Amino acid sequence: MIEVKQLAKKFTVENPKKLSEQEKTDPRLKGRFFHSVKDVSFDCAQGQVLGLLGPNGAGKTTTLRMLSTALKPDSGSITISGVDVLEKPIVARQKIGFLSGSTGLYGRLTGRENIAYFGRLHGMDDESIESRIGQLADILELHDFLDRRSENFSTGMKQKTNIARAVVHSPEVVILDEPTTGLDIMAAQTVLNFIMSLKAQGTPVIFSTHHLDEVAELCDRVAVIDQGITRFNDTIDAFTALSDQSLSASFLATIQREL
Amino acid sequence: MWLVMTKEIKELLRDRKTLFFMIALPLLMFPVIFGAVGFFASKAVKEAESKPLTFAVVHAERARGLVAALEEQPLLERLDIPSDVDIRNWVKADNADFVIEIPENYSNDVMQSGQISIKLYFNDAGLNMVERRLNEVLDTIASKNQRAAFAALNVTEQQQQGLLDPIVLEKVNVADQRENWGEKIGGMVPYLVFILCLQGAMIPATDLGAGEKERGTLETLLISPIERHHIVLGKFFAIALAGIMSALVTVGSIAIWGTVLSQGMAIKIVADFMAAISIIDFVLVFLMLIPVVAIFASALLSLSIYARSFKEAQGYMTPLVFVVLVPVILSMLPGVELKGGWAWVPLTNVALAMKELIKGTMDYFQLFAIFGSTAVIAGGLIYFCVFWFNREKVLFR
Repeated sequence: MIEVKQLAKKFTVENPKKLSEQEKTDPRLKGRFFHSVKDVSFDCAQGQVLGLLGPNGAGKTTTLRMLSTALKPDSGSITISGVDVLEKPIVARQKIGFLSGSTGLYGRLTGRENIAYFGRLHGMDDESIESRIGQLADILELHDFLDRRSENFSTGMKQKTNIARAVVHSPEVVILDEPTTGLDIMAAQTVLNFIMSLKAQGTPVIFSTHHLDEVAELCDRVAVIDQGITRFNDTIDAFTALSDQSLSASFLATIQREL
Repeated sequence: MWLVMTKEIKELLRDRKTLFFMIALPLLMFPVIFGAVGFFASKAVKEAESKPLTFAVVHAERARGLVAALEEQPLLERLDIPSDVDIRNWVKADNADFVIEIPENYSNDVMQSGQISIKLYFNDAGLNMVERRLNEVLDTIASKNQRAAFAALNVTEQQQQGLLDPIVLEKVNVADQRENWGEKIGGMVPYLVFILCLQGAMIPATDLGAGEKERGTLETLLISPIERHHIVLGKFFAIALAGIMSALVTVGSIAIWGTVLSQGMAIKIVADFMAAISIIDFVLVFLMLIPVVAIFASALLSLSIYARSFKEAQGYMTPLVFVVLVPVILSMLPGVELKGGWAWVPLTNVALAMKELIKGTMDYFQLFAIFGSTAVIAGGLIYFCVFWFNREKVLFR
């Protein structure tokens, strides 16, 4: 179970002159501070998949980074499997499997070594790591390149290895930031199948995406963020019901914009 | 911490660029310095000695004997110089390698002429042997004239010596050969060793900080269930180990190449010098580098983690080379010795201690000050590095 309540996070603008015109007119810019996330709340229960939607720059990545403990919120609370993330970040990290949007791999290590390294960081012994890598290699189709250095991996190979790396410790919750971006259809389908398998195991999954067809295929719940504020947080059925035309129309309705 | 360190080392050992700067460069640097520089220098001197030179004489009629002696030299060729020309500009325009101007009072009779001053026009900017080759001829004539004058005056040989050099300073050097050479080259060793250690640590530091950001692996590492200071220390030890490896290879390279050059090529000075330095001295020089490398590793890691990219990190690190040179240059200044306050100045004290070790005049009591002050600075920098690693502003710039 993941519970996020009234999260807020601001950043100091180092050089206001370097901001784009769009950023300068963003209502979240107040003096030297940019309020990236102002009020975000949502929840995701066991066995549910929550799709986190929002336009570019809405605050999705900042929100997910706070969930992963990479960033500390200014206010609000995050509870993961009953653990307060702010109070016990190290305990919470054991329970989270996180894949950020810009994740890379250690190029001079093989795929297997990359995954094993993070397994060891999570306190796993070599035997458990090997067995888990075997499982993940079957599910994510990693066998062909698992023992090659990752510096020459394709985008798809990298992403699959990264997902395996993120879940090697069998986390209680999984958070994925745009996991299918840049992947070809087959690689993307493998990733989506993997999310389905996590759901089937009862693992709550939060993933951000711009692909509404993925939301329709996988999600039980949808949260829409715009300008750092949650505009929608309900079931996929409630989201679909917002418009009788399409999911895109539903999405635009939540952020009160038109095509 | 050990997990992070062993993984970083595994990656570093698979990087050819790092291995080159850590092992190959220090190993090759000294034979290049000792061998190649010596080879090219001696080649340049030989070429200058055997190069034919052209010359002209103004008022040659005043010193026919001298001119004839010059003309007899196999590698000197006389040219005519126009009478109304500006001699300085004529030589500057490369019309001849040198011109001599014979004064009016030139004579072989020293008693009559007194001291004769011959003007020599030549370009002294490059490596040339004009003065030396001209002096060979002049000295022969001058001593012949001298002897003739003394004979005319009935001066004995003892009196001649007294007249030529009334007071002679007889030097008795109490410094042994090791101290002598240690003073001369001891200052250069820390200069090279510091730079090589810094260079050896720089590439891994860039990779382990800014490289993690650029590859997008840092965020993943930060959300691992280990404390930040363990991550920092793991990275710090990996960088320090690379620097120490560089130092070890550097000191080993000096010892090995010194022995090879002295025994293999039978160079007596190097052989004597190497024989005077014990293994313990080499070990102490190496040990001295450990706290130095700790300072470098923590400073480099702090800069690297602040940078957004490899390129930015290298931009921050380059000035560090000049910062490191300052304490080394200080140690070379006259009057700066491993005593009192200087023994507590980090890096300068290590540079001074290395010089003293090479000279064989080390006051081992000063090791407390050296290790103490350097360890405090290194500890402070590591603490800063941990603080730096906890700043969101630094990690997510």
